[in-house]
Amino acid sequence: MKRTLFKASVICMLLGGSILSTKGFAQSDPTGKKRVTDTYAITNATVFTAPGKAGVKSTVLIKDGIIMGVGSNLSIPAEARQIAGDSLFIYPGFIDGASNAGITKPKDPERPENFVSSNPPDEIAGITPWRSAVDQFAMDSKVEDLRKSGFTLIQVVPEGGMIAGKSAVMILGNEASANLIKENTALAASFRGSRGMYPGTAAGVMAKFRDVYKNAELTKTNSDKFASTPGVKRPAINDTYAGMKDVVSKTTPVMFSASSELEIRRVLKLQKELGFNLILTDLENYEGVINEIKASGAGVLIKAEVPDDKAIKAQKEDAAADVKAQYARVKEAYDKSIAQAGKLEAAGIPFAFTTAGVKTGDIGKSLKTMIDNGLSETAALAALTTNPAAMMGLSREAGTIEKGKMANLVLTTDSLFSADSQIKHVIADGYIFDYETKAKKKASEAGNATGAVKIAGNWDYTTESPAGSGSGIVAIQKEGNDFGGTITYDDPSGSGKATAPIKDVKLDGNSLSFAFEVNAQGMSIVVEISGKVEGNSMEGIMAVGQFGSFPFEATLSPSLTAKN
Amino acid sequence: MKKINYFLAALLGLSFSFASAQTPKGSVLIKNATVLTVTKGTLQNTDVLVQDGIIKKVGSNLSAPSGVQTIDATGKYLMPGIIDAHSHVGLDVVNEATSPITAEVQMKDVVNPTEIGIYRALAGGVTISHAMHGSANVIGGQNATLKHRWGTKNPDDIIMADAPRTIKFALGENPTRVHGRGNGIQPRSRMGVEAVIRNGFNEAIQYKKAWADYNAAASQKGSTATAPEYDERLQTLVDILDGKIIIHCHSYRADEIYMLINVARDFNISKLVFQHTNEGFKVAPEIAQYTMGASVFADWWAYKFEVYYSTAFNAAILNANGAITSINSDSAELIRHLYHEAAKTQRYGGMTDDEALAMITINPARQLGISDKVGSIEEGKQGDLVIFDSHPLSTYTVPQMTFVDGVKYFDIKEDKNDQRLAVSPTEMVEDVYLRIETERCMQDTEHLFEMTSTLFNQN
Repeated sequence: MKRTLFKASVICMLLGGSILSTKGFAQSDPTGKKRVTDTYAITNATVFTAPGKAGVKSTVLIKDGIIMGVGSNLSIPAEARQIAGDSLFIYPGFIDGASNAGITKPKDPERPENFVSSNPPDEIAGITPWRSAVDQFAMDSKVEDLRKSGFTLIQVVPEGGMIAGKSAVMILGNEASANLIKENTALAASFRGSRGMYPGTAAGVMAKFRDVYKNAELTKTNSDKFASTPGVKRPAINDTYAGMKDVVSKTTPVMFSASSELEIRRVLKLQKELGFNLILTDLENYEGVINEIKASGAGVLIKAEVPDDKAIKAQKEDAAADVKAQYARVKEAYDKSIAQAGKLEAAGIPFAFTTAGVKTGDIGKSLKTMIDNGLSETAALAALTTNPAAMMGLSREAGTIEKGKMANLVLTTDSLFSADSQIKHVIADGYIFDYETKAKKKASEAGNATGAVKIAGNWDYTTESPAGSGSGIVAIQKEGNDFGGTITYDDPSGSGKATAPIKDVKLDGNSLSFAFEVNAQGMSIVVEISGKVEGNSMEGIMAVGQFGSFPFEATLSPSLTAKN
Repeated sequence: MKKINYFLAALLGLSFSFASAQTPKGSVLIKNATVLTVTKGTLQNTDVLVQDGIIKKVGSNLSAPSGVQTIDATGKYLMPGIIDAHSHVGLDVVNEATSPITAEVQMKDVVNPTEIGIYRALAGGVTISHAMHGSANVIGGQNATLKHRWGTKNPDDIIMADAPRTIKFALGENPTRVHGRGNGIQPRSRMGVEAVIRNGFNEAIQYKKAWADYNAAASQKGSTATAPEYDERLQTLVDILDGKIIIHCHSYRADEIYMLINVARDFNISKLVFQHTNEGFKVAPEIAQYTMGASVFADWWAYKFEVYYSTAFNAAILNANGAITSINSDSAELIRHLYHEAAKTQRYGGMTDDEALAMITINPARQLGISDKVGSIEEGKQGDLVIFDSHPLSTYTVPQMTFVDGVKYFDIKEDKNDQRLAVSPTEMVEDVYLRIETERCMQDTEHLFEMTSTLFNQN
């Protein structure tokens, strides 16, 4: 009932929204939130209209949430607010293939008095295909974080059990607006069993999924017959069937969560048996099943995340030979894992990303890792734009920068996947969202007001010099009232890392300085490092004798403590 | 012929490996072994030739066709691959413990071919295991018969495609504890267990009739018939009644064993094997007459009340009464030395070598419905073989090589320190340890009786 009301209101907003709002704004705007104009021109920016297209200096004109033109000779209307784009790079707004941002899990229904755990009602057992993510979605800080990372359209997936409900596509525009783009885009399914009732395990879920699906098919057959033939018994239409109808009719795909190779194989097995249209999501470990995925024709959403490298970093130099052999296998598994996206591309599978369960702030870094390990920038951009648009049936409206498409754009300070690129503006639904950019990244940890600067620990550092970038670890430890420790650096005499003790460690307020000696070709050079510590990061310079000073950045690794 | 195949394979490249869902088949000539055929006696200084996965020839002075590897087994013993009729190795899920009947659940859905236990079983000469659903439910899920083709990540590669379907039943304390005591539903007692089975089969008979009626009516012109509800659970029970599935029933006490024999007779079911069967010796003639026998532990009991009345002579007594008898592991540890377990029947019961070996080869093969394919060294059977350095029933014996379909999957000389197939990129070095819990029959059920588990052993 609640849902019907909600739907009705959404439809009202969709139908009457523009009239109502114009009326409202035409009179007055007591909130003061009304925009001065909804027409914008970003002039003379480097525009990448689609994946694979080279950046061209042009102006992008948008009005009322629509791209009115892209080019160099656009006539800019007087009411347009102009944004000087000379130093900016413009990309199509990113599209999140599957997200749980803004989603609140609905309350579990109360168990009936005659509840039997071996035969629970569908709603309690996590079988709720009639539910919609629309009912569970609200703009919140997680959604805003996604937008800050460049996402303008997200497919939100409902929370729930083995068949959680239908996903929907939302635009991340102004929160006062109704931001629903498309409903019932996919049926979210997973191997999640219900604790303490049937089905409780992945084995039970697979069996139950077959049952639900086949009965939905039978009900459809019976319903069709009921509609066409007199004298046919009334089919029993329940909520589950009503929610599954579009799926068994093949108009709505099943979006099945499967993170590992074995889970992917299990989903493909169900698809083969039952014949539904499939989107695989939450893929983390899929290198060994790429051929099978391709043969299935399923849509693919991989996690916008790479595995953490803590295990690799924690490997000890002085380990025994057999332990080292095991390290090598972990390293091999890691290397394979970060190269997977590139292999999907090589196999010709047009994949997109899911951000469900992903730390939004790390997405950019993860994509760069994938690109460093075989994924092309073109394919990465396609995975953020055109591929998910196609998967959601929104290729006409979104995915590229073209006249007539929705005004969803990402404006960066440098070409998208370059190291220093930062997002300065995101335009979603024609609304501009501005973000602070910093000359150097590395935000300081907020609220370190007490003034006690902690420097003991292992700092991962990087430096830039004309000879290239260098990196290593500074291990600082308390030694009585002073500090001491070691630094590893790229050995100038060849490959590998060299280690040297650090000396003259001084901490004054948040200014940290220390020095160490490098022996290169019989010459001893003193390297002095100085900079400011903010939270867990340090920025400064590295002075190398008379050779010059170079930028130095370090991060205190929280997982590692200094060696004693 | 072969050359053409290779040429085609090279030409078609990838599509070849795609199109052939076939599992690897190997060829090998094992020479001068003491061959323990199990069904056809012991043959001294004998050669066994396996070609394309099938035992082609057992004889002397055989020569290897070109390209076929020869292994000199002089002084060594060759026996058929060991078959474990009760195991949970290689399964991601063991118990869907949420309903007294879960016949629709399939262990084939949750096979994990990378579980290290499979390799360890191979190292103990086990080539086939019966990966069973647990014993939480009266009628549990359908089991998977696995061939230990170690090295693949595809579950289909280790599922024995030509093995018949089997299903787990369970009597006694486990289902009554989980459902009766744990959830307050039937069965709360052994009487309830019987009622659940009988009600299930009776419902299945009605289900079968409903579909038969519908199918008959639907084929008539102008039919207004609509399809009944689909129910894989009842359909599976129908398949049991139709003789398409072998029941493997967890049982201990003589009275409940005899009960199930009577239920099976009432419903004309003859494909029935008892598992554990600790009191089987009390009803051995009945088991022999009406069922496909019993699969028992060599000497394992007293882990809960219903398993106190037990004897190490169980297997020998069952065997002497003509019941098909096998020795099983139900454990990732015991599965590594089933040949020792079989040897115990010589100490307790004086079984002959062939009788003892049959209990871990041809007898479990018969109970799994695969004795026409495996379980003995005979021409035409599948090339599942183990080479031991001394007689496999000796305390001092060590398995040397294990073959499945003529492909060598274990060789003690090539046994690496790290045999894992799946390595996590985020865990430094995973803990690799034997699952030491004695029996996994009750895995995944813990949440159902957290309280009672402190009072009762979970076997």
